Amino acid sequence: MAGEVAAAQPKRQRRGSKKAKRPTRVGIRVDLTPMVDVLMLLITFFMLTTVFTTPQTMEINLPPDETPVEVAESSLLTLRVMADQTIYWNMGMEAVQKVAFQDLRLLLEDKLRNNPKLITLIKVQRDATFEMMVNILDELSLAQITRFSMAPFKDVDLRFIEKGLGG
Amino acid sequence: MAGKVRTRIFVDMTPMVDVIMLLLTFFMLTTQFRPPQEAEVTLPSSHSDFKLPESDVMTVLVTSDDRLFLGLDSQNDRVKIFGEENRLKPGILVPDRQTLGNLMVKARLTNPKLRTVIRGDKKVNYGAIEDVISVLQEKNITRFSLVTELDTK
Repeated sequence: MAGEVAAAQPKRQRRGSKKAKRPTRVGIRVDLTPMVDVLMLLITFFMLTTVFTTPQTMEINLPPDETPVEVAESSLLTLRVMADQTIYWNMGMEAVQKVAFQDLRLLLEDKLRNNPKLITLIKVQRDATFEMMVNILDELSLAQITRFSMAPFKDVDLRFIEKGLGG
Repeated sequence: MAGKVRTRIFVDMTPMVDVIMLLLTFFMLTTQFRPPQEAEVTLPSSHSDFKLPESDVMTVLVTSDDRLFLGLDSQNDRVKIFGEENRLKPGILVPDRQTLGNLMVKARLTNPKLRTVIRGDKKVNYGAIEDVISVLQEKNITRFSLVTELDTK
Protein backbone atom coordinates (compact mmCIF):
# COMPACT_ATOMS: atom_id res chain seq x y z
CA MET A 1 0.00 0.00 0.00
CA ALA A 2 2.62 2.48 1.07
CA GLY A 3 4.78 1.63 -1.89
CA GLU A 4 1.94 2.19 -4.26
CA VAL A 5 1.24 5.65 -2.97
CA ALA A 6 4.89 6.59 -3.11
CA ALA A 7 5.09 5.39 -6.66
CA ALA A 8 1.94 7.14 -7.73
CA GLN A 9 2.97 10.47 -6.40
CA PRO A 10 5.78 11.46 -8.77
CA LYS A 11 3.87 10.06 -11.70
CA ARG A 12 0.92 12.28 -11.13
CA GLN A 13 3.05 15.31 -10.68
CA ARG A 14 4.90 14.69 -13.91
CA ARG A 15 1.69 14.22 -15.77
CA GLY A 16 0.23 17.39 -14.31
CA SER A 17 3.18 19.49 -15.33
CA LYS A 18 3.01 18.14 -18.84
CA LYS A 19 -0.66 18.76 -19.36
CA ALA A 20 -0.99 22.31 -18.07
CA LYS A 21 1.57 24.89 -17.16
CA ARG A 22 -0.38 25.98 -14.15
CA PRO A 23 -1.64 23.19 -11.93
CA THR A 24 -5.29 23.54 -11.19
CA ARG A 25 -5.64 25.14 -7.87
CA VAL A 26 -8.85 25.43 -6.01
CA GLY A 27 -8.94 28.74 -4.26
CA ILE A 28 -10.36 28.07 -0.85
CA ARG A 29 -11.83 31.15 0.64
CA VAL A 30 -13.20 30.72 4.08
CA ASP A 31 -15.45 33.43 5.29
CA LEU A 32 -13.75 34.52 8.47
CA THR A 33 -16.37 37.01 9.57
CA PRO A 34 -18.06 34.75 12.16
CA MET A 35 -14.67 33.89 13.57
CA VAL A 36 -13.85 37.57 13.91
CA ASP A 37 -17.15 38.07 15.67
CA VAL A 38 -16.44 35.36 18.20
CA LEU A 39 -12.91 36.55 18.78
CA MET A 40 -14.09 40.10 19.29
CA LEU A 41 -16.54 38.86 21.89
CA LEU A 42 -13.80 36.99 23.70
CA ILE A 43 -11.54 40.03 23.59
CA THR A 44 -14.23 42.23 25.04
CA PHE A 45 -14.78 39.69 27.78
CA PHE A 46 -11.13 39.59 28.74
CA MET A 47 -10.74 43.33 28.50
CA LEU A 48 -13.65 43.89 30.80
CA THR A 49 -12.73 41.27 33.34
CA THR A 50 -9.11 42.35 33.62
CA VAL A 51 -8.77 43.75 37.09
CA PHE A 52 -7.21 47.15 36.96
CA THR A 53 -8.40 48.07 40.40
CA THR A 54 -5.99 46.46 42.78
CA PRO A 55 -6.99 47.29 46.33
CA GLN A 56 -5.31 50.17 48.09
CA THR A 57 -3.60 49.87 51.40
CA MET A 58 -3.05 52.19 54.24
CA GLU A 59 0.22 51.69 55.95
CA ILE A 60 0.44 52.01 59.70
CA ASN A 61 3.57 52.13 61.78
CA LEU A 62 3.04 51.66 65.45
CA PRO A 63 5.69 52.01 68.10
CA PRO A 64 6.62 48.66 69.64
CA ASP A 65 4.76 47.62 72.73
CA GLU A 66 7.48 47.76 75.34
CA THR A 67 9.08 51.11 74.58
CA PRO A 68 6.99 53.91 76.00
CA VAL A 69 7.34 57.10 74.01
CA GLU A 70 7.64 60.31 75.95
CA VAL A 71 5.58 63.05 74.44
CA ALA A 72 5.35 66.67 75.50
CA GLU A 73 1.86 67.28 76.77
CA SER A 74 1.47 70.43 74.74
CA SER A 75 1.95 68.65 71.45
CA LEU A 76 -0.29 65.71 72.12
CA LEU A 77 -3.61 65.74 70.36
CA THR A 78 -5.97 63.04 71.48
CA LEU A 79 -8.89 62.01 69.36
CA ARG A 80 -11.53 59.91 71.00
CA VAL A 81 -14.00 58.24 68.72
CA MET A 82 -17.23 57.01 70.20
CA ALA A 83 -19.43 54.20 68.98
CA ASP A 84 -22.11 56.70 67.93
CA GLN A 85 -19.57 58.33 65.60
CA THR A 86 -19.04 61.44 67.66
CA ILE A 87 -15.47 62.60 67.87
CA TYR A 88 -13.97 64.37 70.85
CA TRP A 89 -10.61 66.03 70.73
CA ASN A 90 -8.34 67.66 73.25
CA MET A 91 -4.79 68.90 73.53
CA GLY A 92 -2.74 67.53 76.39
CA MET A 93 -4.95 67.40 79.44
CA GLU A 94 -7.40 70.10 78.39
CA ALA A 95 -11.09 69.41 78.48
CA VAL A 96 -12.55 67.60 75.51
CA GLN A 97 -14.40 69.30 72.70
CA LYS A 98 -16.71 67.80 70.19
CA VAL A 99 -15.93 68.01 66.49
CA ALA A 100 -18.01 66.95 63.54
CA PHE A 101 -16.40 64.55 61.10
CA GLN A 102 -16.58 67.08 58.25
CA ASP A 103 -14.64 69.65 60.27
CA LEU A 104 -12.02 67.20 61.46
CA ARG A 105 -9.61 67.79 58.61
CA LEU A 106 -9.63 71.56 59.06
CA LEU A 107 -9.02 71.11 62.78
CA LEU A 108 -6.13 68.72 62.17
CA GLU A 109 -4.54 70.97 59.57
CA ASP A 110 -4.89 73.91 61.89
CA LYS A 111 -3.30 72.05 64.80
CA LEU A 112 -0.45 70.83 62.63
CA ARG A 113 0.25 74.36 61.37
CA ASN A 114 0.45 75.67 64.94
CA ASN A 115 2.64 72.84 66.10
CA PRO A 116 4.61 70.86 63.50
CA LYS A 117 5.74 68.44 66.20
CA LEU A 118 2.17 67.39 66.81
CA ILE A 119 1.60 63.82 67.81
CA THR A 120 -1.85 62.39 67.49
CA LEU A 121 -3.21 59.67 69.65
CA ILE A 122 -6.31 57.92 68.47
CA LYS A 123 -8.60 56.09 70.81
CA VAL A 124 -11.52 54.33 69.27
CA GLN A 125 -14.26 52.73 71.30
CA ARG A 126 -14.52 49.01 70.74
CA ASP A 127 -18.11 49.26 69.57
CA ALA A 128 -17.30 51.73 66.81
CA THR A 129 -17.08 50.34 63.30
CA PHE A 130 -13.84 49.56 61.51
CA GLU A 131 -14.97 51.93 58.77
CA MET A 132 -15.02 54.79 61.24
CA MET A 133 -11.45 54.10 62.25
CA VAL A 134 -10.33 53.92 58.62
CA ASN A 135 -12.08 57.20 57.92
CA ILE A 136 -10.28 58.87 60.82
CA LEU A 137 -6.92 57.53 59.65
CA ASP A 138 -7.75 58.70 56.16
CA GLU A 139 -8.46 62.22 57.44
CA LEU A 140 -5.12 62.15 59.26
CA SER A 141 -3.23 61.21 56.14
CA LEU A 142 -5.11 63.81 54.10
CA ALA A 143 -4.09 66.39 56.69
CA GLN A 144 -0.48 65.21 56.22
CA ILE A 145 -0.24 63.91 59.76
CA THR A 146 2.16 61.02 59.71
CA ARG A 147 2.96 60.73 63.37
CA PHE A 148 0.15 59.08 65.15
CA SER A 149 -0.43 56.21 67.46
CA MET A 150 -3.36 54.19 68.58
CA ALA A 151 -4.35 53.33 72.09
CA PRO A 152 -7.19 51.34 73.56
CA PHE A 153 -10.21 53.27 74.72
CA LYS A 154 -10.58 52.75 78.44
CA ASP A 155 -13.17 53.63 81.05
CA VAL A 156 -10.90 56.46 82.15
CA ASP A 157 -11.42 58.04 78.75
CA LEU A 158 -15.16 57.82 79.09
CA ARG A 159 -15.02 59.50 82.48
CA PHE A 160 -12.63 62.10 81.10
CA ILE A 161 -15.10 62.94 78.34
CA GLU A 162 -18.00 63.15 80.78
CA LYS A 163 -16.00 65.40 83.06
CA GLY A 164 -14.99 67.62 80.15
CA LEU A 165 -18.53 67.97 78.91
CA GLY A 166 -19.98 68.51 82.35
CA GLY A 167 -17.48 71.09 83.56
CA MET B 1 -28.30 48.37 -16.78
CA ALA B 2 -27.08 49.73 -13.54
CA GLY B 3 -27.90 46.55 -11.71
CA LYS B 4 -25.87 44.37 -13.98
CA VAL B 5 -22.41 45.35 -12.88
CA ARG B 6 -22.05 44.03 -9.42
CA THR B 7 -18.66 43.68 -7.80
CA ARG B 8 -18.61 41.13 -5.12
CA ILE B 9 -16.70 42.57 -2.19
CA PHE B 10 -14.73 40.02 -0.32
CA VAL B 11 -12.48 41.38 2.34
CA ASP B 12 -9.66 39.15 3.40
CA MET B 13 -10.11 38.77 7.14
CA THR B 14 -6.94 36.78 7.77
CA PRO B 15 -4.72 39.68 8.95
CA MET B 16 -7.52 40.90 11.17
CA VAL B 17 -7.91 37.47 12.69
CA ASP B 18 -4.16 37.42 13.28
CA VAL B 19 -4.20 40.69 15.15
CA ILE B 20 -7.26 39.76 17.16
CA MET B 21 -5.72 36.42 18.08
CA LEU B 22 -2.63 38.22 19.32
CA LEU B 23 -4.70 40.60 21.42
CA LEU B 24 -6.75 37.73 22.74
CA THR B 25 -3.65 35.80 23.76
CA PHE B 26 -2.30 38.90 25.45
CA PHE B 27 -5.44 39.46 27.47
CA MET B 28 -5.81 35.80 28.32
CA LEU B 29 -2.30 35.62 29.64
CA THR B 30 -2.32 38.87 31.55
CA THR B 31 -5.73 38.47 33.13
CA GLN B 32 -5.42 37.70 36.78
CA PHE B 33 -8.64 36.71 38.27
CA ARG B 34 -9.35 38.00 41.70
CA PRO B 35 -7.72 35.62 44.13
CA PRO B 36 -10.35 33.63 45.98
CA GLN B 37 -11.10 34.72 49.49
CA GLU B 38 -12.24 32.57 52.34
CA ALA B 39 -15.08 34.95 53.00
CA GLU B 40 -16.41 38.02 51.29
CA VAL B 41 -15.81 41.32 52.98
CA THR B 42 -16.85 44.83 52.07
CA LEU B 43 -13.79 46.98 52.28
CA PRO B 44 -13.85 50.46 53.72
CA SER B 45 -12.80 53.22 51.37
CA SER B 46 -9.90 55.61 51.72
CA HIS B 47 -7.86 58.08 49.69
CA SER B 48 -4.63 56.21 50.25
CA ASP B 49 -2.84 55.45 47.01
CA PHE B 50 -0.50 52.67 48.06
CA LYS B 51 -1.17 49.56 46.05
CA LEU B 52 -1.47 46.22 47.72
CA PRO B 53 1.66 44.20 46.88
CA GLU B 54 1.01 41.14 44.79
CA SER B 55 3.32 38.68 46.46
CA ASP B 56 4.62 37.96 49.95
CA VAL B 57 1.45 39.04 51.65
CA MET B 58 0.05 37.66 54.84
CA THR B 59 -3.59 38.60 55.16
CA VAL B 60 -5.59 38.69 58.32
CA LEU B 61 -9.20 38.58 57.27
CA VAL B 62 -11.78 39.82 59.73
CA THR B 63 -15.29 39.06 58.56
CA SER B 64 -18.42 40.88 59.55
CA ASP B 65 -19.36 38.07 61.93
CA ASP B 66 -16.05 38.40 63.79
CA ARG B 67 -14.35 35.34 62.38
CA LEU B 68 -10.61 35.48 61.81
CA PHE B 69 -8.82 33.98 58.84
CA LEU B 70 -5.12 33.97 58.18
CA GLY B 71 -4.19 33.82 54.54
CA LEU B 72 -0.95 33.51 52.61
CA ASP B 73 -0.56 34.11 48.90
CA SER B 74 2.09 31.57 48.04
CA GLN B 75 1.32 27.86 48.00
CA ASN B 76 4.75 26.91 49.31
CA ASP B 77 4.29 29.03 52.40
CA ARG B 78 0.82 27.62 52.90
CA VAL B 79 2.11 24.05 52.88
CA LYS B 80 4.85 24.93 55.33
CA ILE B 81 2.61 26.72 57.78
CA PHE B 82 -0.89 25.32 57.38
CA GLY B 83 0.07 21.82 56.26
CA GLU B 84 -0.28 19.96 52.98
CA GLU B 85 -4.07 19.61 53.15
CA ASN B 86 -4.50 23.38 53.05
CA ARG B 87 -2.36 23.93 49.97
CA LEU B 88 -5.22 25.12 47.81
CA LYS B 89 -7.09 27.04 50.45
CA PRO B 90 -6.37 30.76 50.41
CA GLY B 91 -6.56 30.95 54.17
CA ILE B 92 -7.54 29.05 57.25
CA LEU B 93 -9.92 29.85 60.04
CA VAL B 94 -8.09 30.88 63.18
CA PRO B 95 -9.94 29.95 66.36
CA ASP B 96 -8.33 32.41 68.77
CA ARG B 97 -5.78 35.17 69.14
CA GLN B 98 -3.13 32.91 70.62
CA THR B 99 -3.15 30.69 67.54
CA LEU B 100 -3.11 33.73 65.28
CA GLY B 101 0.00 35.06 66.96
CA ASN B 102 1.80 31.73 66.81
CA LEU B 103 0.94 31.16 63.17
CA MET B 104 2.12 34.65 62.28
CA VAL B 105 5.45 34.19 63.98
CA LYS B 106 5.87 30.86 62.23
CA ALA B 107 4.99 32.41 58.89
CA ARG B 108 7.40 35.26 59.33
CA LEU B 109 10.19 32.89 60.28
CA THR B 110 9.53 30.86 57.14
CA ASN B 111 9.35 33.87 54.88
CA PRO B 112 10.83 37.03 56.39
CA LYS B 113 9.71 39.11 53.42
CA LEU B 114 6.05 38.68 54.35
CA ARG B 115 4.08 41.85 54.73
CA THR B 116 1.13 41.90 57.03
CA VAL B 117 -2.16 43.31 55.89
CA ILE B 118 -5.47 43.45 57.68
CA ARG B 119 -8.51 43.02 55.53
CA GLY B 120 -11.49 43.88 57.61
CA ASP B 121 -15.12 44.25 56.81
CA LYS B 122 -16.16 47.85 57.18
CA LYS B 123 -19.08 46.98 59.41
CA VAL B 124 -17.07 44.93 61.86
CA ASN B 125 -16.59 46.32 65.35
CA TYR B 126 -13.34 48.12 65.87
CA GLY B 127 -12.72 45.89 68.87
CA ALA B 128 -12.08 42.90 66.62
CA ILE B 129 -9.49 44.88 64.69
CA GLU B 130 -7.98 46.21 67.87
CA ASP B 131 -7.47 42.65 69.09
CA VAL B 132 -5.63 41.78 65.89
CA ILE B 133 -3.50 44.90 66.18
CA SER B 134 -2.60 44.06 69.77
CA VAL B 135 -1.56 40.56 68.65
CA LEU B 136 0.63 42.19 66.00
CA GLN B 137 2.18 44.47 68.56
CA GLU B 138 2.81 41.56 70.89
CA LYS B 139 4.65 39.77 68.12
CA ASN B 140 6.59 42.91 67.24
CA ILE B 141 4.94 43.45 63.90
CA THR B 142 4.68 47.19 64.08
CA ARG B 143 4.39 47.79 60.36
CA PHE B 144 1.23 46.63 58.73
CA SER B 145 -1.38 47.87 56.33
CA LEU B 146 -5.11 48.04 56.19
CA VAL B 147 -6.68 47.05 52.90
CA THR B 148 -9.11 49.62 51.60
CA GLU B 149 -10.82 50.51 48.40
CA LEU B 150 -10.02 53.69 46.58
CA ASP B 151 -12.46 56.42 47.40
CA THR B 152 -13.17 58.21 44.17
CA LYS B 153 -14.94 61.11 45.80
